Amino acid sequence: MALLLLAPYLVSSRIIAILNMMMISAVIAVGLQICTGYAGQINLGQAAFMGVGAYTASILASKTGLTFLLTIPLAGLSAALFAFLFGLTAARIKGFYLALTTIAAQFLFHFAVLNLPSTWLGGSNGITVPPAELFGQRFVSESSQFYLNFAVTAIMVAGAFGIVRSRFGRAFVAVRDDDVAAGIMGINVAATKANAFLIGAFYAGVGGALWAYLIRFVGVDQFTLFHSIFFVAMIIVGGMGSIVGALIGVFIIRIIQEIIATVGPNIADSVSFLGGDIVFAGMNVVLGGVIALFMILEPKGLMHRWNILKSSYRIWPFPY
Amino acid sequence: MVYFINDIITGALIGLLYSLVAMGFVVIYRASKVFNFAQGELVIIGGFIVWFTTMQAGLSLWLSIPLSLVLAGLVGYAIERIFLTKLIGESVFSMVMVTVGLLILLRGLVLLVFGPAVRPFPIIFPLKPLFLGDMLIPMNLLIGGIITIVAAVGLSWFFNRTRSGLRMTAVAEDHVVASSMGISVKGSIAVAWVLGAILSTIGAMIFLSGKSLTFLASDIGFAALPVALFAGLESIGGLILAGIIIGIAQSLTTNYLDPLIGGSLGSVVPYIIMLAILLIRPTGLFGWRTIERV
Repeated sequence: MALLLLAPYLVSSRIIAILNMMMISAVIAVGLQICTGYAGQINLGQAAFMGVGAYTASILASKTGLTFLLTIPLAGLSAALFAFLFGLTAARIKGFYLALTTIAAQFLFHFAVLNLPSTWLGGSNGITVPPAELFGQRFVSESSQFYLNFAVTAIMVAGAFGIVRSRFGRAFVAVRDDDVAAGIMGINVAATKANAFLIGAFYAGVGGALWAYLIRFVGVDQFTLFHSIFFVAMIIVGGMGSIVGALIGVFIIRIIQEIIATVGPNIADSVSFLGGDIVFAGMNVVLGGVIALFMILEPKGLMHRWNILKSSYRIWPFPY
Repeated sequence: MVYFINDIITGALIGLLYSLVAMGFVVIYRASKVFNFAQGELVIIGGFIVWFTTMQAGLSLWLSIPLSLVLAGLVGYAIERIFLTKLIGESVFSMVMVTVGLLILLRGLVLLVFGPAVRPFPIIFPLKPLFLGDMLIPMNLLIGGIITIVAAVGLSWFFNRTRSGLRMTAVAEDHVVASSMGISVKGSIAVAWVLGAILSTIGAMIFLSGKSLTFLASDIGFAALPVALFAGLESIGGLILAGIIIGIAQSLTTNYLDPLIGGSLGSVVPYIIMLAILLIRPTGLFGWRTIERV
């Protein structure tokens, strides 16, 4: 952990950039883990919720000049509010119907950004975001942004560990395992599902705000259904129902994406007819394959494998 | 007034095209309890198969269309064997996620194999529109609408009246119960995917006839999604009504409301209808009501 704090002095700026992306993804994936992994509410709109957060933060920052200390939580709140509209349907429906509602959220977000007057949300041109600023110190360089992202990610992840151990977290698990039984035990199922959506989207919004401050530009293409699926891939690979699993998943998927982004252009030189699309295509093939393989071979994710290893080490040399 | 009626008719016909693509969702769901998010990808794969057999291999239409349907069926069967047989009896989440994985996997594969180039698609249905007085009706959509209605009647007869159709319906109710009653869940899912892929290919022919083919055409899968939900995922006959309603709503919004507000509201109207349906009546117009026991 302490080593991570010193990272900007130890490794190249390229790796710092990757770490920045990883930390932002971690915030969003942890939110998705709470919503999907713990509360069992399938969510294919996490990128849209992230987008709402990113747009909120960038509009607040560029038009009102609020400090990021306020815009980041406000971005989370607005994403939570947007998600709540869709979370309401979760009270009545479940399973893949819910997946469909969240896909609808994705399309409505896209539509709203592109079709509202461009003075509001920038339309297809996107919005440029001023850098985050604290006590006259501007977070412009990769390494200064690293500390901003690190601080926020640490708070959010620590909060996630707290949430899943609290009565809310236990209610989430009960609803995930069997919502009818959970209702009989006295858990307010509708409120619990709505809570899961609120919390998950709050994380996405905070992540989106960090994203806006990192890239300093938001556009609607950064928050598509494909990005939502990438986040789901992260928690599937890491393992459903585990915060650490989400972090592992983020790490692995981001590494894969980084490799494809580096290797892709080299391949593109030899197979020229594909051009720049090879990175996108390769990403889709690999991540789609990873999702399908994990669902078929290891549906509980890497964290489950690790737990088996841990327990067999503890009780060694006995089989159980 | 003539234009108004023309808009309604065209809208209804586009709606029927959505119904045909949505029929792929429903057939797969109705026989395997899997909701296939990759339906649009199946459409595009069907489109590429048709393109390959006609434009690339140079077969005549009478030969290439049956051949394409057979090939599409094989692709559907292969997908089912590789990805879905192993998930029988698994949770809804696994099923949903595997098809979501398939969605991006197939899209990536199509892009890798065929590239982003725009290709001409063979003219399968006459390009000349049908003139009825002052109205003009696109020929491909008209023939497509008739095919859709025939397919809907045929398939709903199959699923509701024949013995093998009812077996598949039992699989859609519950995999474990169905297999303990001696029904082959595997066989049912295989038939479902073959049928789904063939329907998607027919959809691709109607949709793309005489137009250009790129991987972006798979968006029709998402356009058809609200139709499947509006009808209720278990009802094949209901798709016709749902498709017509959504098609007309979309056409009227695009032609009369969009010029007023200066946006493309027409493209999201189906989704707004879908959200409303999910909030008011999640099972759709004709879907089954499920009762849950603990």
